[in-house]
Amino acid sequence: PCVSGGLPKPTNVTFLSINMKNILQWNPPEGLQGIEVTYTVQYFIYGQKKWLNKSECSNISRTYCDLSAETSDYEHQYYAKVKAIWEANCSKWAETGRFYPFLETQIGPPEVALTTEEKSISIVLTAPEKWKRNPEDSSVSMQQIYSNLKYNVSICNTKSNRMWSQCVTNHTLVLTWLEPNTLYCVHVASFVPGPPRPARPSEKQCVRTLKDQSSEFKVK
Amino acid sequence: GLRRCLISTDMHHIEESFQEIKRAIQAQDTFQNVTILSTSETLQSVKPSDTCCVTKNLLAFYVDRVFKDHREPNPRILRKISSIANAFLYMQRTLRRCQEQRRCHCRQEATNATRIVHDNYDQLEIRSAAVKSLGELDVFLAWIDKHHQDTSA
Amino acid sequence: GAVAILPAPQNLSVHSTNMKHLLIWSPVIIPGETVYYSVEYQGEYESLYTSHVWIPSSWCSLMEEPECDVTDDITATVPYNLRVRATLGSQSSAWSTLTQPFNRNSTILTPPGMELTKDGFHLVIELEDLGPQFEFLVAYWKREAGAKEHVKTVSSGGIPLHLVTMEPGAAYCVKAQTFVKAIGRHSAFSQAECVEVQGEVLPL
Repeated sequence: PCVSGGLPKPTNVTFLSINMKNILQWNPPEGLQGIEVTYTVQYFIYGQKKWLNKSECSNISRTYCDLSAETSDYEHQYYAKVKAIWEANCSKWAETGRFYPFLETQIGPPEVALTTEEKSISIVLTAPEKWKRNPEDSSVSMQQIYSNLKYNVSICNTKSNRMWSQCVTNHTLVLTWLEPNTLYCVHVASFVPGPPRPARPSEKQCVRTLKDQSSEFKVK
Repeated sequence: GLRRCLISTDMHHIEESFQEIKRAIQAQDTFQNVTILSTSETLQSVKPSDTCCVTKNLLAFYVDRVFKDHREPNPRILRKISSIANAFLYMQRTLRRCQEQRRCHCRQEATNATRIVHDNYDQLEIRSAAVKSLGELDVFLAWIDKHHQDTSA
Repeated sequence: GAVAILPAPQNLSVHSTNMKHLLIWSPVIIPGETVYYSVEYQGEYESLYTSHVWIPSSWCSLMEEPECDVTDDITATVPYNLRVRATLGSQSSAWSTLTQPFNRNSTILTPPGMELTKDGFHLVIELEDLGPQFEFLVAYWKREAGAKEHVKTVSSGGIPLHLVTMEPGAAYCVKAQTFVKAIGRHSAFSQAECVEVQGEVLPL
């Protein structure tokens, strides 16, 4: 056991949660630059009886700890806390607020596949996947958790410099009657109606519609 | 069920109101080992046919007990609690009209679920129980949202 | 000079349009002095369950103007009591209370502003941003005899949204109305606006 309170506490202890991958992160205690501080993490399931250790995050030097497995029941709520340790001294615990994965996880963007024709672009969206314990576990789509998951598709015609968006719920969208031989850029954000959540749009992807096979254009 | 009693309430505004005071309210709740709505045992086990009645009962729980028992000195938080309380009053009225049209049927299972919540509340000192119940509004609102998502774009 | 008794503000009324609610009253005139006003409100919950509780308005404590935007206070579709008092130095008037409680379901809803643009054959609409409580019903049709009217629900204003991919050489007309779910009411439809689409593109 160490002398509690001998060190300042870690600061900004929060969960960063994306698609139910729940990482506890914090800032080192102030004023301890150059000192080899280590950290120990515990977590608590709201309504249960006691704090639990996370063995992989005991006496660690990094400033984050993956608690996805321990907080995987997203209908429950959790607390987590971390303390700093240096030699015989340690800080008091620094604790998160109550963390509710179901309401607080950020919904990542879908995968976006674009294919082009002369005057059309086909957009195929694949719903983001929930975090899983092992890569070989079967995948669970975030759509299975949030049945009202929607996508905001933003399209920019780089020639006319016009941008417009469409809100869709299904996973395929065909943009027809586009201008041939024109670069269109697309990015897509997932969103769930309900309490505000930070949005994470997809990377912008640009594709060029094919040249008009017949010849040059002439507008009637 | 709840969706047929389409509550023309702007749930998002209630959720936003709570989000703005969630940290402050939950920080006042120091009993982490106790819950009022006890997520998995009570609300998640309610059958779809009972959701309308349980919603009506829990709205009454908040309006008749929780909001009255809580003392809030901070005007900013008081405004948000008032906003939620008045929205719940409106939802109660909507569900009452629904019940009169026999579309919010109450069975024993719904009464049992509600009694567990009241029993949990009675286990705690009144102010602690009220602030804990307020702190669990996000659970109740998420449960309502889940059970009455309409299909508008 | 000292004022015997500071009169309470009179003629309180609420002007409400598109879910923006403005409480106004007749100013209290004290020659050579600046009178300040404070507003408090009580929702139906407070009047039923905690009638002694009045809540200070979000934006109107000791302000000079004889008006108060109570939009952020009136957040549920129930009757609200509103009251105002004047303050001059250390002296405050009696409270003056709105004669009839105000319910936001009486707000005036105006047809939404809309801007139509074309990107090639794509008809794009941008509706007036009236705030998060507003949805929109957009009706559009091809301008030809017997044309079928299509309706689309748009959940937010202020962003250009794709409405329809148009057929070459046709003309399309569009009108829109607002819908406020919280009070279950629509506005009237806006005037219809029509756009022509360029013809088919012919090879040389």
